[in-house]
Amino acid sequence: MSILTAEQKAIKQAAKEFVAKHIIPVADALDKTCEFHPKVLEAAKESKVFAMAVPKEYGGLDYDALTQALVLEEWGYGCAGIGTTLAASILSMDSVLVAGNDEQKRRYFKPILNSEIGSFGLTEPGAGSDAGAGKTTAIKVGDEYVLNGTKCWITNGGFASVFVIFALTDPAAGMKGLSAFIVERGLPGFTIGTVDHKLGIRSSNTVELLLKDVHIPATNLLGKEGEGMKVAMKTLDMARPAIAALSVGLAQRALDECAKHVMATYTGKNYAGQTLQFKLADMQILVEAARETLHNTMRLRDSGQPFSKESAIAKTFCADVAMQVTTTAVSLMGSYGYTHLGKYMRDSKIMQIYEGTNQIQRLVISRAVLTPAPAPAAAQKAGK
Amino acid sequence: MNFELTEEQQLIGQSAREFGKEYLDPIAVELDHTGEYPAKIVAKLAGHDFLGLLIPAEVGGAGAGFASYVQVIENLSRSSAAVASIVNNHTIAALAIEQFGSPEQQKHYLPKLAKGETLGALALFESGPTPGVGPDALTAVKHAEGWVLNGKKAYVRNAGVAGVYIVFATADPAVGAKALTAFVVDSKTTGLKIGTPEETMGLKGCPVAEVAFENVVLPETALLGAVNQGQAIAAKLLAIFYVAEAAQTVGIGQAAVEHAAAYAKQRVQFGKPVAVLQAIQTLLAEVATDCHLARLGLQNAALLIEEGKPFEVEAAMIRSFLVRLGSKMLLDTCQVEGGFGYSEFMPLPRLFRDIAGTTLLDAPGDYPDKIIAASIA
Repeated sequence: MSILTAEQKAIKQAAKEFVAKHIIPVADALDKTCEFHPKVLEAAKESKVFAMAVPKEYGGLDYDALTQALVLEEWGYGCAGIGTTLAASILSMDSVLVAGNDEQKRRYFKPILNSEIGSFGLTEPGAGSDAGAGKTTAIKVGDEYVLNGTKCWITNGGFASVFVIFALTDPAAGMKGLSAFIVERGLPGFTIGTVDHKLGIRSSNTVELLLKDVHIPATNLLGKEGEGMKVAMKTLDMARPAIAALSVGLAQRALDECAKHVMATYTGKNYAGQTLQFKLADMQILVEAARETLHNTMRLRDSGQPFSKESAIAKTFCADVAMQVTTTAVSLMGSYGYTHLGKYMRDSKIMQIYEGTNQIQRLVISRAVLTPAPAPAAAQKAGK
Repeated sequence: MNFELTEEQQLIGQSAREFGKEYLDPIAVELDHTGEYPAKIVAKLAGHDFLGLLIPAEVGGAGAGFASYVQVIENLSRSSAAVASIVNNHTIAALAIEQFGSPEQQKHYLPKLAKGETLGALALFESGPTPGVGPDALTAVKHAEGWVLNGKKAYVRNAGVAGVYIVFATADPAVGAKALTAFVVDSKTTGLKIGTPEETMGLKGCPVAEVAFENVVLPETALLGAVNQGQAIAAKLLAIFYVAEAAQTVGIGQAAVEHAAAYAKQRVQFGKPVAVLQAIQTLLAEVATDCHLARLGLQNAALLIEEGKPFEVEAAMIRSFLVRLGSKMLLDTCQVEGGFGYSEFMPLPRLFRDIAGTTLLDAPGDYPDKIIAASIA
């Protein structure tokens, strides 16, 4: 267990209680019906959890990054689908934090503080890992931009009040012509297309966004024209640890459920053998290491140091750990695992895919590995 | 050792592939959605003799060898592993009677099982760590005219649709699994009750449920093999079953890797198909390799079974291999397809859920290792 301040412990405990009361009891049912559940948001209003990533000057709680990770881990523990709803809302807020001006922040965070949710629209059918290959356009007409295009797999899209949408202000310039915008729900021409049905995180809402001649004020541009790619990358650097946190929660949940089942099943002289014991130990080792990697990344961010590489490492490692631990949990419990804990396996798979696949993270990490180290100090050169 | 399939094995595999394309591909997605037992498809399977493959010709079966059988299972699984599950569970029950049954039991059941008029099921597992020891353990008490069974079997596949169950009960709760005794039980027997179907994440359409026994009275002739021989019978059946189930895993893996490779060739990112990226090639290459090696391993075990040679260690090895690497085939192929690999509108998520069923269901973690380790001289 990592060393936390009294305040962090209290917040973690409150999140744990919230999750036990409002998320765990409904998680399985929502997974079955594949329904997004606004009632959970209603409950979250009281806990002010949506305010945790909003700076104090805008009326938020302004939790440090580590504390946010503690809360997200608990949500992931309760249900990675509902956790994804929270994480995706924070993802969109991160773009506003990265590039928004004072007025934009005030405007974007207001509904969030009221427990409404945000949504981040970058991906398109032809632009997944290749995020710069999008075709959605934002053409300036007078003091407005007119948006046209299709976004896909957009988390929270059907229920969000506010969106950050990426579109080309200069289509000829490709990636360099990408810009970020705040788009509000309900504008004429802004509609929801296909609602996706997914292998896991089924209680989260994933949709296609259709933009047809959607007029937005020019003041909705985040940063400058052409800065979209930079905004997206900075946002994802900030947001990736949230996926790591959900993954740690998911892995911890699978481990706990597995241990509970083993203790209930193997009693008396029918004790669990070493094969089982060691696999449980391996699961615990992975969960612990994943959590520490994540917390270290968060401490780097909180202390103002670069954390881009560590963010990629945490996302990749924690997602891989969730996949491995949940799969082992199901296999250790055989038929019981397959019928009762399959959700954790299904939920884990997306952790390796969304917010930059683990392959994209490995590109980021390997570039850092292959960057020459700074020249050694003079004293060392002298052979001391 | 001959690595080439005989003409018979190739032909029977091809006929199963064609059956899959014609009858299973069109219903596989719907079957996965509804989870309803596909009675019409099972009738079609019977019509094509796929339900009596291993049953001797003299009692109405096809009299095929086990190496041919796994060709059928692999090829059916490329289209629908759920349907292959129904076949596997039926066949293992038929094999139990064929290998351990009395002449009367064989005469009575095998012709009906061979033609698919009766479906078989194996009622072996319980909620406890091993059969015969948990709180719900099925017990068999001897009385004047036969036996009385009480308790519950868990996760019985083909439950509710089977006409005959191969049931394992402990004849002495004090020693538990060591006194395991097998019975052939007709589904209409008074006191046999099928529980609510379990919701599984995959292999939907192959029913899974608890089977409860409340004062089920059986005649002495229902005994399969000898009293206390159940553990040995179960071990042999399970070993055979794991080889048959491995063929399901390989069929699913093959379907997945073919789909992912086709996807990679047409999915353009960064200006070229992702298939040219080394990271994608590695994912595909590893899955294709694991799938190929698993196929060789299971075909080797199948041939040993067919030739009546010892096969238990090889069966345990293929199981161990696939418990470790079976699910990985889908973890990696889904990864190749990224967001598309996670959407239930695409094929891989179903295969993901199915393959976990063929490798993780009924897999007490230490089963294969114990047998393999003990075999190393």
